[in-house]
Amino acid sequence: MQAEPGKTGVRELTFIDAIKEAYVEEMERDENVFLVGQDIRGGIFPSTMGLFDRFGPERVVDTPISESGMYGTAFGAAQEGFRPIVDFMFGGFAYVTWAECSVTTGQYYFLHGGQVPLPLVMTFAVGTGQQLANDHAMGLHGAFFHQPGIKVAMPSTPHDAKGMMKAAIRDNNPVVMPWHMGLMMDRGPVPGTDYTVPFGMADVRREGRDVTVLANSLQLKHALAVADRLAGEISVEVIDPRSFEPFDMDTLLRSLETTSRLVVVDEDWERGGFAATVSARVMEQGFDLLDAPVGRVTFPNMPVPGGHMEAYIAPGPDKIESAVRSVCA
Amino acid sequence: MQADKDGMRELFEKLVLADKLDKLMYRRMMQGRLLGFYHPGDGGIAPGVAIGHSLHKQDIYAPHHRAHAIPGMIGKNVPLERYLAEHSGKQDGCCRGRSSFHWSFPEFGIYMASGYIGYQFAPTVGWGWAARRKGEGQIVWCSAGDGAYNQGRAHEAMLMAMNWKLPVVFCCENNGMAIHATAESTHPMEHVSSLAGGYGMPAVIVDGQDVFAVAETARNAIRHVRDGNGPIFVEAKTLRFKEHDIGTPDLAGHTPRGKEELDALRERDPIRLATEAVLAAGVLDEAGIDAVHERAEKELARLERFADDSPVARPGEAELLEAVYAS
Repeated sequence: MQAEPGKTGVRELTFIDAIKEAYVEEMERDENVFLVGQDIRGGIFPSTMGLFDRFGPERVVDTPISESGMYGTAFGAAQEGFRPIVDFMFGGFAYVTWAECSVTTGQYYFLHGGQVPLPLVMTFAVGTGQQLANDHAMGLHGAFFHQPGIKVAMPSTPHDAKGMMKAAIRDNNPVVMPWHMGLMMDRGPVPGTDYTVPFGMADVRREGRDVTVLANSLQLKHALAVADRLAGEISVEVIDPRSFEPFDMDTLLRSLETTSRLVVVDEDWERGGFAATVSARVMEQGFDLLDAPVGRVTFPNMPVPGGHMEAYIAPGPDKIESAVRSVCA
Repeated sequence: MQADKDGMRELFEKLVLADKLDKLMYRRMMQGRLLGFYHPGDGGIAPGVAIGHSLHKQDIYAPHHRAHAIPGMIGKNVPLERYLAEHSGKQDGCCRGRSSFHWSFPEFGIYMASGYIGYQFAPTVGWGWAARRKGEGQIVWCSAGDGAYNQGRAHEAMLMAMNWKLPVVFCCENNGMAIHATAESTHPMEHVSSLAGGYGMPAVIVDGQDVFAVAETARNAIRHVRDGNGPIFVEAKTLRFKEHDIGTPDLAGHTPRGKEELDALRERDPIRLATEAVLAAGVLDEAGIDAVHERAEKELARLERFADDSPVARPGEAELLEAVYAS
């Protein structure tokens, strides 16, 4: 698709084209916005396809396989007033320049007296389903979530993909915005107008009475399928956090006032992840609302295997259903 | 020639001030009046002074970390009372007392410090990219030590800066020591600047003890880069008279550096050499040199008064949490 800014009305777009439409609209709007990454001229993923021809080499910056230098291009340019979007291709590759993109990035603004903001976006593909194993499959949102000073959000629908990417580009802080490969070609309604989806606003995707399932991205899709499957038996409320940092605790607590039971689904390891943080916060802030211990559906604490074995351990509909039944028992 | 003499006098003033401030930092650390740690610059302060002095205010400069970037900042005319306040944990510090040792003067093109040796290489690519794209004649000077050039990031930055013909000077202030490791034990070649050849980057070597020689080399390198010729490498051969940081033993490898060895190094004290040079060139006489030292002492007193008068930074946790994100 060739995105057309100014085009109004709601169209059906794929998830990945919705991201591209956000890039195009923001790059048209603000000449300080630029893309930097490896092989983004041709496009390993369709999100940047055609943009080199449209915007040229100064706006779609293709780098050698030098992750620190590539990320440094974004970091230094952001200090100089640009608004870079750095595309790591696969999320696991961010670890190659982890010192820069996590510690130095998240703590730069605060530690240097709040003098110079760092308005940059980090984006990359994540997720199981492609049988590619660890570095090509890991979620990175949990690792970034652990780092202070960085906002972390992950869209679940084409609508949110465009609106959250635009919000990320306009934010004056570093924002990490992974997207799940399992959603890449999903289609959904996307307004052709200029809109943003602000961070820190969870979305109740389905209302229910008996149990709340907090799930995001591909796992949100699975959670909604489970809610359908259990309809008539267990009434499942499904909430999409949309952003992990900032996290909308109010919407979750409000939901628990009705349901009193919670399952957190997170495509990340059990140990030290977002799901663990949410369940601890619910214990601290909403203990009296609960009628059962919080359930979690996550990766077991083991390497992420590739091939067929990926499916044996990844979160998915069956594990979610089993967790829902368990907290409702 | 009068311009040359004025330039020499100005450099000499800055060199003397940098040397005295470095030694003041050392004393304050020993007195418990400086927070965190301090990596003395004694012996190796001439390159920073000369480089900072040769840059325009708008140029982006990552100074070498030794002497906590004081020589480079003095060279670039950064008033340092807010840096001394920062290092003393005071609320008027350049980073509001949040960092202990970080220098950050964005209005002078000096963005940041980091505890990661070689941190400056990755942003250097971005600074250079931004400078080229803006096209306002701004350049980037990336200084680092021989130890930092052990980092893979140095090589990524040199590769990318050459590929993109960015306006960057890569500089190695080579004092031959990375903590205790000697440069000859961590580099396969005698000169760190030999690395530049692998990227097709021109390189020059200069006597880093001679502040005037470094300034001349820096000016030429800056002109090369500002004229759009792409990166150049400058290696300043310098020295380190003191231990790596206050409190660690002063070793070369695993052997203590002896008095004789250090006395020999001090023959090439940059202050001594510069003093001889200004006398020989007739830039200053003995009385003029005394006056330079007196002015520097007065400036130190001013810096200390500011730092000592500033209240200890005591923000509450809520206030600090509010400061994590930009609005």
